[in-house]
Amino acid sequence: MDDRRRCFEALVLPHLDAAYRFARWLSRSPGDADDVVQEAILRAFRGFDALRGSDVKAWLLTIVKNCHLTALKQQQRRGFVPLPEEHDVQDGEAMIATTPDPESSSVRRDERRTLDRLLSSLPEEHREVLVLRELEEMDYRAIAAVTNVPIGTVMSRLARARAALKARWLKEAEREPHAVR
Amino acid sequence: MQCAESLRVQAYFDGELDALSAADVERHSETCAACRELLQDLHQVRAALREDLTYASAPPALRERILHALDEECGIKNPRLRGPRLRRWRPQPFWTGAFSGIGGTALTAGIVFFFLAPPLTNPILDGLVSAHVRSLMPDHLIDVVSTDRHTVKPWFAGHTDVSPVVADFDGQGYRLIGGRADYFDGQRAAVVVYQHGSHVINVFSWAADQRGLPNNTTRNGYHLAFWKTGNLVYCAVSDTAWDELLGLARLLQDLN
Repeated sequence: MDDRRRCFEALVLPHLDAAYRFARWLSRSPGDADDVVQEAILRAFRGFDALRGSDVKAWLLTIVKNCHLTALKQQQRRGFVPLPEEHDVQDGEAMIATTPDPESSSVRRDERRTLDRLLSSLPEEHREVLVLRELEEMDYRAIAAVTNVPIGTVMSRLARARAALKARWLKEAEREPHAVR
Repeated sequence: MQCAESLRVQAYFDGELDALSAADVERHSETCAACRELLQDLHQVRAALREDLTYASAPPALRERILHALDEECGIKNPRLRGPRLRRWRPQPFWTGAFSGIGGTALTAGIVFFFLAPPLTNPILDGLVSAHVRSLMPDHLIDVVSTDRHTVKPWFAGHTDVSPVVADFDGQGYRLIGGRADYFDGQRAAVVVYQHGSHVINVFSWAADQRGLPNNTTRNGYHLAFWKTGNLVYCAVSDTAWDELLGLARLLQDLN
């Protein structure tokens, strides 16, 4: 293996899981996410020489986001119209890890499923800032870079996204009191 | 009802404010019920997302597929690099393990450190992060290589100004791999080095002074956890997850 490749694997591949999670929350299906991540890693490898010490994770997730947008455009050109996001319930449930977690009780699984569903019911611009902030623990500056919007927009989107998630959560609690805490 | 300060409160919650503005927000939320409620909501949403959301990692099959795609990419784009393999560096067995994750970390650290030039202001935090990064460069990690605390502890007596707690938590996943003297904040600090998975955790310790204990924080991707035991300040630095870093911090504090 040559040095460039070794260097790439050491620097970029540690963020593969983050790239995958981000793609999963952006894409319509696990299959789409796989393709997006693979394309993103290849693009990252080709453009690796241009990486000059900026935040590697933010850099990779920016590429993931761009690959996702490209894939979306291609689907639309081919006449594939995704279901409206609001009704896409399966999407979140498909995120459930395939490996069984011995500690998770069925209640916990229910909570998980509910939350996955609520998050995936949010519009993409809300979903992505929540995922980047709360799951990937990125700061505003990095989120702004990945989502390609000004920091002020990141802040207002985050506020709206959090309020929206909370509101849906409360609504869910009214309907199914034991599904959420 | 929403207060005009709500975005600042959110920025405070996200750790995006400097100390002065943070103090402003803290003062403000003492008197503003709406902002107190907002802070509560923010905590709740974060806790739910971090605890209950499925945190999927890339499936092994995808990883394989990607490595394969990279192979093909290398083969097509760089046929000249398919030549004779580089002579393999043969590390001693100990280093095989210790270095498995360090190379990349050191490289990242080096790049982050030398090119990113982030807006660092706190000299203690700067010193710790740069000492950590320096330690990840080849041959800088450990001065005394030992998994035996009875070897590491006395070594510090002759080489540093302090005598920190040294223990091996191999059973809990934190393997003692050695110690090091580091010049830091005007004194010779003691550093106990642990290995956790492929990560290195440096536990710095130095004599406490009048300055307050810094808050736990993250710099350039490295987490820094601080605590004080007796008259020593400890700081664990690593790029592991917070939980894992705080796990070691707890174990060390529990020894007292």
